[in-house]
Amino acid sequence: MPTEVIMPKVDMDMSHGKIAVWHAAEGEKVEKSAPLFDIETDKAAMEVESPAAGYLHHTAPAGSDVAIGHAVAWIYAEGEAVEDPPGGKTPEASPAGDAPAPNGHASALAAPDAAQAEPSAPPANGVRATPAARRLAGLKGIDIAAVDGTGPRGRVQKRDVEAAEAHRAKAPEPEAPHHSASTRRAPLPARNVDAAAQPIVLVHGFAADAAGWAPLERRLGKGASVSRIELPGHGRTAAAKIAGFADLLAYVRERFDALELADAHLVGHSLGGALAIALADQRPDAVAALTLIAPAGLGAEIDGAVLAGIARASRAESLAPWLKRLVANDDLISWNYVQAAALARSDPALREAQQQMVDALFPDGVQSFDVRDALRRLDCKTRIIWGRRDAIIPWRHALEAPGRVSLNLFEDVGHLPHVEAPEAIAALMMT
Amino acid sequence: MNMMAPTAEVEGELRELSYAEAIREALDIALGEDERVILMGEDIGVYGGAFQVTGDLVHKYGEERVIDTPISELGGAGVSVGAAMCGLKPIFEFQFSDFAALAMEQIVNQAAKVRFMLGGAVSVPLVMRFPAGSGTGAAAQHSQSLEAWLGHVPGLKVVQPSTPADAKGLLLAALDDPDPVMIFEHKLLYKMKGEVPAGRYTTPIGVAAVRREGTDLTIVATSIMVHKALAAAEELAKDGIDVEVVDLRTVRPMDRDTVLASVRKTGRLLCVYEGVKTLGVGAEVSAMVAESDAFDYLDAPIVRLGGAECPIPYNPELEKAAVPQVPDILRAARQLVKAEV
Repeated sequence: MPTEVIMPKVDMDMSHGKIAVWHAAEGEKVEKSAPLFDIETDKAAMEVESPAAGYLHHTAPAGSDVAIGHAVAWIYAEGEAVEDPPGGKTPEASPAGDAPAPNGHASALAAPDAAQAEPSAPPANGVRATPAARRLAGLKGIDIAAVDGTGPRGRVQKRDVEAAEAHRAKAPEPEAPHHSASTRRAPLPARNVDAAAQPIVLVHGFAADAAGWAPLERRLGKGASVSRIELPGHGRTAAAKIAGFADLLAYVRERFDALELADAHLVGHSLGGALAIALADQRPDAVAALTLIAPAGLGAEIDGAVLAGIARASRAESLAPWLKRLVANDDLISWNYVQAAALARSDPALREAQQQMVDALFPDGVQSFDVRDALRRLDCKTRIIWGRRDAIIPWRHALEAPGRVSLNLFEDVGHLPHVEAPEAIAALMMT
Repeated sequence: MNMMAPTAEVEGELRELSYAEAIREALDIALGEDERVILMGEDIGVYGGAFQVTGDLVHKYGEERVIDTPISELGGAGVSVGAAMCGLKPIFEFQFSDFAALAMEQIVNQAAKVRFMLGGAVSVPLVMRFPAGSGTGAAAQHSQSLEAWLGHVPGLKVVQPSTPADAKGLLLAALDDPDPVMIFEHKLLYKMKGEVPAGRYTTPIGVAAVRREGTDLTIVATSIMVHKALAAAEELAKDGIDVEVVDLRTVRPMDRDTVLASVRKTGRLLCVYEGVKTLGVGAEVSAMVAESDAFDYLDAPIVRLGGAECPIPYNPELEKAAVPQVPDILRAARQLVKAEV
């Protein structure tokens, strides 16, 4: 299967791109990431790199205008038979040689032609999809079983089919040159990997960051395979405006999916706990166990003053009183610790992003999202850990969990059990 | 465009009237233009009615046309059914819709059936008015929403006006109808004001009204829930959620076309009604959509918000909790639109 080279979108308002010049000739060998062609827009010229190594065929002529996402050429592997351009999308096709009949797409997405041939293909059995998603997939000739669902329990929504259709139009997305600039997509990589160990994924809470897991990670031992997902506007992750819980969940889900894990042990604290529940609900096959530490989303109450205070604090002096509310024994919050925390929050963009997140997720000091139904639906091994002296979210929210969920309540522990009692938490996680 | 304004091709001058005043005006017009029209009910004469809807009409039209009936709903309903069969056009007022239970034989077995059982030789041009709903602290026996009971009976028409203009227009349309029409009026709406055209006009029975156009979610609501849905829609608009609010207006016959067109457009349906959720009006709306071609446009499960599965409590906080409120609608709508259900 040759690799499709598409016209990338390099400008927000562009619908077509003009091919200014080819850097390789038809039939010539090209290296991956080598300059392939230049495009010209109203505003700029830009070089596009080759998405693959191989031989260049079916090039659209220089000077021609090609719609965004449409093929401008195909790259064939060494020894691969050169056929008619797959899908016939190249505007100026120049087939070489007596090619055998195309063997069709190996892609899960059927060719658009198939839709016209079989407009009323029976819906795929065993796929969770809304009627609207099924209808649209039928109209567009998309195999619904191959569409990635973002609804509850992986249900395919109409928007997912629309995304699949857009993806199909864009072709080989991961290798497309216009995505090469995207660097903040990958989660922090797994460390100390031991292939036999169950992969652990940590999702921190509001105003924390990936580094906050360090005490727990030390106790999990060197053999553990641990990945950490950092929320937008936290730690080293760039600030991003979050419209609401679903938006934040989509962000986390994208990073979780990028890990390509099966049977993961998902660990979430506070807001990260709510995200972990919702994520497990949408990715039941990828999550085998769930540890929820003082999770949000199980009730309305939360100490809004602490959230707002931390989000707004620009100095150690204004941060300290709020941090002390997080733990049962405030000796844990040393002045050095507060200063380090304040330093980590010195970027105004980060503070602004977190204040916006408080507004979006906890308006008027209330948890606006609710994952209780999702928690009840889950059937993976689930444990809730809570400190009885949690002053941020009442531990009694844990009582919303169904009977099959294990509950561990710690005396003299506040809102940060993984910091206040990491030994005990690590031991529980490994049982 | 003011979507709460009268929708029919009405020419009368617009005035601000309360829902109760609009009903009284309709009664006045009917009594004035047709001497076959009579009003019947307990305390509707000199007292002016339990909710002061009939007011001083007895002084204008006399005790022979505005008739205080004894405290027997079965007796009063029976007389009104008989009067209708004999050529009068009675408008019977219940003090509380809950007392329909006492008159069920006359409503269900007589008024609804007579035309069919006598081969069309006789009709029952009867209008009955039922003050309904909770929110007044009147407790379990005086706060129910029983429109689904009567909506279940072929031979009856059942309407639930949500605005003063519709209260007047639907009452006059009910009088024009040759068959029995049951009007459920929400007690909390009686004091609500709105624009009402002067003079005679009718609001068609069996036609819903789109009170607010939107693209993300359809809320089908009845009676006072229309106003709660509109308040929620305003709030949701701030989050960029564009809600369409359909006021069902008539429970039987239900306006299938308007509801299905809206669901095809938005792909999401939330039914909000005050009657008990189970087997209520929203159950019928949901089933109607699920059985139709609009099913293929649904991008989320249908959600219903209805009354709690309990008698309406006397305690004011519990009374509020027993029926859908704006925050309930906000929560359900957000979950629907964000695909969390």
